[in-house]
Amino acid sequence: MQGPLIDSLVRQGVSRRTFLKYCATLASMMALPPIAGRAMAEAIAASRRPSVIWLPFQECTGCTESITRSHSPTIEGMIFDMISLDYQETLMAAAGFQAEEALHSAMKDNYGKYLLIIDGSIPLGVDGAYSCIAGRSNLELLKEAAKGAAAIVAMGSCASFGGIPKANPNPTGAVSVSDIIKDKPIVNIPGCPPIPVVMTGVLAHYLTFGSLPELDDKGRPKAFFGETIHDRCYRRPFYDQGKFAKTFDDEGARNGWCLFELGCKGPVTHNACATTKWNGGTSWPVESGHGCLGCSEPDFWDAGGFYKALSMPADPLKIAAAAAVVGAAAGVAVSVANRAKRSAAKSAHETTSLADLEK
Amino acid sequence: MSLDAIPIHVIPLHVSLAPPAEPGLTGNAPPLLREISELLRRLLETGETAAIDLSALPLTLADLDWLSVKLGEGEIAVTLQASGESTLNETACPGVWWVTHHNEQGAVTSQFIEVAFVPELVKAHPQDVEIGREYLELLISDL
Repeated sequence: MQGPLIDSLVRQGVSRRTFLKYCATLASMMALPPIAGRAMAEAIAASRRPSVIWLPFQECTGCTESITRSHSPTIEGMIFDMISLDYQETLMAAAGFQAEEALHSAMKDNYGKYLLIIDGSIPLGVDGAYSCIAGRSNLELLKEAAKGAAAIVAMGSCASFGGIPKANPNPTGAVSVSDIIKDKPIVNIPGCPPIPVVMTGVLAHYLTFGSLPELDDKGRPKAFFGETIHDRCYRRPFYDQGKFAKTFDDEGARNGWCLFELGCKGPVTHNACATTKWNGGTSWPVESGHGCLGCSEPDFWDAGGFYKALSMPADPLKIAAAAAVVGAAAGVAVSVANRAKRSAAKSAHETTSLADLEK
Repeated sequence: MSLDAIPIHVIPLHVSLAPPAEPGLTGNAPPLLREISELLRRLLETGETAAIDLSALPLTLADLDWLSVKLGEGEIAVTLQASGESTLNETACPGVWWVTHHNEQGAVTSQFIEVAFVPELVKAHPQDVEIGREYLELLISDL
């Protein structure tokens, strides 16, 4: 195992064994065979750092925060050693004309070969005037940068699906990257924010195999988005036993029962939070006692309220027709129960229920 | 043809030969013993090493415990400090290693069964050996 990247890591005090261990774990997370960890380490170690151009559009910088603050000292930080990040407004020292110069020379020098990362949605209203960089609209910039890109990574729910800017009534006319670019391979890494290791995994796959990982029907890497939060949730056994928390402070909540009735969107949300967790594996939303918001699914902001239970229990067998009637009934039952709880809470003045949060 | 002619029979549950199911056991662990045995045969015949990714299999904690108890403990236990602790422990079957990687916070990040004479991670890399030799040369030149 040798090459420019591993040499630079070793100089920074990251040992070869640390790197091998990291690649083994990454391969495991991506559901690749164990032998791939070794292959990945060899390929990444020897890689000639591809040029990466990162353009921020209509976004909140949360995606950048997620990536840059993730590394417990070195690990996800390796991503910045794996690539040559030639343009990233938030991180780069250059500004103004110098920054624009860096962008254009990176695009020219690596034409047809660079990876383009986009975070944020693209506003189409008023000729794109809602979001401009250096006096040019996001739409114009995206089209220009996409031309010479080998592939595009849409970072976060905004770039992948439009995200919060696209929420009703979508005042800026926000759309996703794939709504505009049709002739390049696009990987969607949705999430608000997205999980950092997914980004590293996609890059590692690209460096190792020279191609993008397998994607699902929404353009997301199957390795991380193949299963729902619900499928891998450690509270799943309680769902199967019919044990649900009814409010955020009842006995069920204290016992860590299923948060389905409190509006958890786990059953319809594809993401890897339940296995990778957040903050260096410390915890994740459901573990901290709050249901999943479904942030890695299209239009999650308008999916009917974070504290409203899904109208239909997850149906692993997908017997949709037969279940629809039962599901509708269950939905009514839940909403009746919610209403009853709200009045009960009002009279008791002691518990806070989802119905109180959901005006 | 009568049903009896079929050489596979349904065994009623009450006379089942399987051990009484413990809570949490899924029955997914026992087949791994056969796979490991096959991997060992390959190691002996061709020298080919292999690994089984335990986090990728539908194993419960009880399954993992069962497997770890069955495989037992061997003579060698290696601890590696590299962004968190990793343990590479030989099982009672020489050549079968139980490898667990932890992160800095101590959480398990991945777990493998490695079939090899020596696990890959334990071996020193030639380039690291070279760096060590240069360091020694430096020490000697200062004598």
